[in-house]
Amino acid sequence: MNKFALGCGVLIAILLFVVVVAAIAIGGNYNRLVRLQQAVDQSWAQVQNVYQRRADLIPNLVNTVSGAANFEKSTLVEVTNARASVGRVQMQLDPNKAPTDAAQLEQFQAAQGQLSNALSRLLVVSERYPELKANQNFLSLQAQLEGTENRISVERGNFNKTVQDYNVAVRSFPTNLIAGMLGFPPKPFFNAQPGAEKPPPVQFNFGTPAPAPAATP
Amino acid sequence: MLRHFLNKPMVVRCAERCMRGRVRSPAVALMVAILFAISAHAAEVIPPTPSAYFNDYAGVVSKEAASRFNEQLAQFERDTSDQVVVAVFPKMQSESDIADYTQRVAQAWGVGQKGRRNGVVLFVFIQDRKMFIQVGYGLEGALPDVSAFNITEYVIKPPFVAGNYEAGLRAGINSILNTIRGEYKGSGATAREQRTTKRSPLWPLLFFGGLLLLSFLGGLHRTARRGFGISSKGSGWTIDWGNVLFFWLNLFLSGSSSRGGGGSSSSSSGFSSGGGSFGGGGAGSTW
Repeated sequence: MNKFALGCGVLIAILLFVVVVAAIAIGGNYNRLVRLQQAVDQSWAQVQNVYQRRADLIPNLVNTVSGAANFEKSTLVEVTNARASVGRVQMQLDPNKAPTDAAQLEQFQAAQGQLSNALSRLLVVSERYPELKANQNFLSLQAQLEGTENRISVERGNFNKTVQDYNVAVRSFPTNLIAGMLGFPPKPFFNAQPGAEKPPPVQFNFGTPAPAPAATP
Repeated sequence: MLRHFLNKPMVVRCAERCMRGRVRSPAVALMVAILFAISAHAAEVIPPTPSAYFNDYAGVVSKEAASRFNEQLAQFERDTSDQVVVAVFPKMQSESDIADYTQRVAQAWGVGQKGRRNGVVLFVFIQDRKMFIQVGYGLEGALPDVSAFNITEYVIKPPFVAGNYEAGLRAGINSILNTIRGEYKGSGATAREQRTTKRSPLWPLLFFGGLLLLSFLGGLHRTARRGFGISSKGSGWTIDWGNVLFFWLNLFLSGSSSRGGGGSSSSSSGFSSGGGSFGGGGAGSTW
């Protein structure tokens, strides 16, 4: 009887020990996952921030450029439309939480990519207008736009880095056993834009006057 | 000035950037990371953190001017806590765009204080005829891209075109400092000076105590192994004072000789990273 009680006591002690160890392990992992997720959300907010900065520059840019005599209206319309579609996509996203749905991020990226293309086309077209190249306002907008593109690249890189840390933690053993239970799904990355893996075609357009001589410093 | 824009349209640059973020699954991510690490290692060199504020690796500025610039930048950190570093390289050791590459270098160097992130690095690549001002997060308000562009394009570039690097750098440093002065207040010491003065008084004591113990142990050991100490008949566990003295004499001699060798670097103001970070702010020019 006494021996039986002792055995029970030992068993209970062992069970208690196992439970405590498991709780500590799960708690530690949970805290780590929360920290990593927080980092991902923070870098996502930073990404949104720099994209917003670009969107804010556009009305000013469009105004300045459209002031130039008979500027091509089609490129301006394209930029304005692309910006509007970015706004629509952004409406569906939570600015404080990184997207967990890969399709959603894909959509966001596609809209932003379209805006990037429209903007670069606008800047290329504006090369043909000497009036713009002498415009101080346009030059400063161009510098700001270029700086914003640099920031976008940096923040996207940072975002991908934090997502990678998070995904490695979520998917590696033994955290992967509890990550699903605790509600930590893997998160999508920024991908390369379609067609980015092949170099852009070089076109020699001899029909239009080249702006190169005017652009030499 | 618009030529660099034409040379590399945004589409190409975007493609370069997006390549870095091209990952689908962890396995692919790892492979891509390794591949990029290898290719980046082959193509790109991140120079080690400099130990001075003004670093002329290309040899375009006189020694006196370099140490004057260095002292000016060190004093600026004491006054404002802003860390401004100038690095003149002969050539860019990377295939990437200058904005991307210099951001990575500035980030790796950690210029600027940790909390304020107030660092600025002016990069100049002589043979590439390119320069770029990288602005830390905390100074993007005081030194926006347009100001950075104006400094490189209208202040530094004209003397550079004329071949006078020293004048260009002097004017550039002055206008950077004037633009960002007043944003933060300094503590009167650079990051390096703070690190040396802030060290707790307990550590040298502990260090000394450890050395003392070591020297005694050294003396003890020797006599024990020899088997016949001066005063040992049975056990041999005594301290050989000659050995202890020898240990300390040796230490002082080696200490003073090494200090004599490296003394020159500690006399001028050195740069120590404060742990700042960079988000791609800034602008550059070609000449």
